[in-house]
Amino acid sequence: MNTYLYLARRVLQALAVILIVTVATFCLLHALPGGPARGILGPQATPEQIAQFNHAQHLDQPLPVQYGAYLGRLLHGDLGSSYTLNEPVSQLIVQRLPKTLVLTVLSALVGLLLAVPLGMWQAVRRNKPVDYVITTLSFVAYSTPVYFLGLILVLVFSHILPWFPAQAPQGDSLAQVFADPAGLVLPVVAGAASVVAVFSRYMRAATLENLSEDYVRTARAGGSRRGAILRRHVFRNSLTPVVAMLGYYVPVLFGGALVVEQLFNYPGMGLLFWSAAQSSDYPVLLGCVLVIAVATVVGTLLADIVQRIIDPRVKEGRA
Amino acid sequence: MTAAERSTAAVADPILDLDDLGVVFSSETGDVHAVRGVSLHVRPGETLALVGESGSGKSTVALAAIGLLPGNARATGRARLGATDVVAAGENDLARLRGRTVSMVFQEPATALDPLTRIGDQIAEVIRNHRPLSAREAAQAAIELLRRVGIPDPGRRASAFPFELSGGQRQRVVIAMAIANDPTLLIADEPTTALDVTVQAEILDLLRGLAAETGTGVLLVTHNMGVVADFADRVAVMLQGEIVETGPVEDILLRPSHDYTKRLLAAVPRLAVAEPGEAPRPSAEADAGTESATSGALAKFAEAGGSAESADSGGSATSGQSAESAESVVDLRAVTVAFGRGRGAVRALDDVSLSVRPGETVGLVGESGSGKSTAARVALGLVRPTSGTVTLFGSDLRRVSVRARRSLRSGVGVVLQDPVASLDARMSVGECIAEPLRVHRRRMSSKERQARVADILDRVRLPRGFARRTPRELSGGQRQRVSLARALVLDPRLLVADEPTSALDVSVQEAVLQVITELQDDLGFACLFVSHDLAVVQNFAERVVVMRAGRIEEQGATEVTLLHPGTDYTRRLLAAVPVPDPVVQRRRRAERQAEAAQARPPGTAPAGNDGGPGPETPGGTVPGDGPGDGPDRDGSNTGGSGVNA
Repeated sequence: MNTYLYLARRVLQALAVILIVTVATFCLLHALPGGPARGILGPQATPEQIAQFNHAQHLDQPLPVQYGAYLGRLLHGDLGSSYTLNEPVSQLIVQRLPKTLVLTVLSALVGLLLAVPLGMWQAVRRNKPVDYVITTLSFVAYSTPVYFLGLILVLVFSHILPWFPAQAPQGDSLAQVFADPAGLVLPVVAGAASVVAVFSRYMRAATLENLSEDYVRTARAGGSRRGAILRRHVFRNSLTPVVAMLGYYVPVLFGGALVVEQLFNYPGMGLLFWSAAQSSDYPVLLGCVLVIAVATVVGTLLADIVQRIIDPRVKEGRA
Repeated sequence: MTAAERSTAAVADPILDLDDLGVVFSSETGDVHAVRGVSLHVRPGETLALVGESGSGKSTVALAAIGLLPGNARATGRARLGATDVVAAGENDLARLRGRTVSMVFQEPATALDPLTRIGDQIAEVIRNHRPLSAREAAQAAIELLRRVGIPDPGRRASAFPFELSGGQRQRVVIAMAIANDPTLLIADEPTTALDVTVQAEILDLLRGLAAETGTGVLLVTHNMGVVADFADRVAVMLQGEIVETGPVEDILLRPSHDYTKRLLAAVPRLAVAEPGEAPRPSAEADAGTESATSGALAKFAEAGGSAESADSGGSATSGQSAESAESVVDLRAVTVAFGRGRGAVRALDDVSLSVRPGETVGLVGESGSGKSTAARVALGLVRPTSGTVTLFGSDLRRVSVRARRSLRSGVGVVLQDPVASLDARMSVGECIAEPLRVHRRRMSSKERQARVADILDRVRLPRGFARRTPRELSGGQRQRVSLARALVLDPRLLVADEPTSALDVSVQEAVLQVITELQDDLGFACLFVSHDLAVVQNFAERVVVMRAGRIEEQGATEVTLLHPGTDYTRRLLAAVPVPDPVVQRRRRAERQAEAAQARPPGTAPAGNDGGPGPETPGGTVPGDGPGDGPDRDGSNTGGSGVNA
């Protein structure tokens, strides 16, 4: 299929997905008991005060009308204002998103750089001690809650061994974040652990499948050695399914950031989301969900494009 | 090979010498001795065919000879390849040997190449494994090799990915990789089994030419006796891991001494061929086309099809026609099936008219992509035609209600190719067979159902106790009988069989076909038999429909159409089928190659342009670019044509 036509179609699909996500979140948020007024005005607020707040924020209008108004403002880039922080949501996101991106992208990169070779190594040494050890470790890493893992990391590598700070870099600008790389180590490791666990499993399975393919036998019959076959053929063939999975892993990464940022007191999207959820700050919550939805859709789109680059058959619609 | 060459080959030292080779597979249920005490040798320039049925261990011997046995296999004895014993050699020594001294061509060209690497790079990799060439030189050498194996426009094709090539072209690429470093031994494991007959003939010609050119010895593993007759000098017959008989190809195929070889050869369906001179001259027939006078039945059918078409466009049916369609159990009239829309649409069927009369067997033959399976699916009502009408048991499938269509369908039984995939592994054999009864005979009590299942198991000659087993516990032939039982449990008036025996060994195939024939005599159902195997169809069907690229090429009585075909295409198709008689096959090959050479404009070399089901169109190669045009060609039986004729 023509690449431009394909891209246009995929972008339209992405927009539709994002629209559906906003509808779903909008409905869910308004179905929550209590509402934002109670959260913001506190338990002492009188019903009159709450009614006044609701009227001022147009929360007393029918839901579809509220959603329509929200969507209208969204089209103008207006995500509303935070109830609690008295700042436009868009400004909050512009401030916080780059930090979360730094954290998640670094976690994903570090995780993949470990997971891919580990998975291939396991496949080559299938059912040998190495395979069992890595399998066990990845199950442990996968089943340990990020929060718990983070605490352990802080305990061991910050308190017992004073190697890294227990706090992520503070400050509002990215320059300040990068000025303190040591502070990033523990948050990134905490975020990367599950990536390593999950993607080494995918890579192991994909490599095993490819090792039993006929083309490996053909390459061996041509005198290619094992290392060369792995490098030249199996690696790329095994990477395609893994890349496809990566797109779907974006929301999981953001979910992990939620916990990691809270734990290391890192002022990114996760922390923003966390505090907004606690104070029922609807505009902020909606804004965050929107960002995660966009990130997910963009992630899958990027994964598809990378797949088209790796695998020529995808382009022809033959894979 | 000339007689002189053969005598020099006889004195040369063997390049492969297996001595008391054994292979044991360790599995969860214990050790399995796949190969026992196999001793054989291959001398330079000779082709040894290793034949046998599935599970005989022939492929295992081939893999052992190149040291590519799977991890759970253990080899014993000696396998001397040049100066190296493959059984004792380490992986490093083997890697030095593979691709240089010995190389291999595999069965499945669809999966034998890395899908993500350009074919030129894959060939260059084999070259650079053994020769100190730069990347650029190796790429150039790869293009040369592609030219040698008859890939048209090799410079451009070298940067193609495997999926952009047809099956035959992919196999040529695999062969190019195998001959990249001029090996002394070429192992070919069922090299043409996955290919159409016309492509098979080309690939065999190519392999034969290349081997003769360089004096390469060939170990050919195959189940196809026609291929053996076409290619081998000597034959070794394997049964249950052991060699039961070895000898020159004429002796084994024409005067076998071992009982098993005799039985095996007796089970091979033989293509009856017209004696030389008996067949009408091709040149005289060429203009006649489908209107061939040799086939009366054909003419009748062309007429019927033609009138139906005109009636369709006129919007009214004549009484004669409705009588005709009432007569037949299934009737396709001017059926067209298009998949996709717009420019990307593919016409799987184009104006196809055919019918099956009660009790008769119609063979639907053609190469892959000819639309024969689609036609069968249309007859079953599984594919809705884009245009045209399908009449099943006298009712137009488009005009009847859903419920009526369902009851019509209960009159059709289906047997499909894959005996493993076509039965639900989670159901017992009895449940598989009874399922159609549950759907179409709802009022039947479970006792009656069981009785019916037992009865039909008797009919297909399976023990009644099989009803409680699962399909997994059965052999391929037994599973196919279960499929047949399931197809016949409702007493259908029509059996549609799509390649029912092509996954089976010849002896099993014979038994299954015999069961179908007997049941047909007893029960009187009609049969639409889809097959790529012309010999099977010739023995099994009364009428035959030859399809090509979605169209009907010709149809008629089997003994007429498949003996004196009316079209060039059918003639080419028949000529490409190797017969299991080395003497006859040598003559047929020479005729085929002479005809192919004649059909080409002078001065052009044939090329491996086997992209479609159509005939080979001469590629744009210039004379002298292939080794086939060189002097001193072996002209004794290759008809003087090139390696890639």
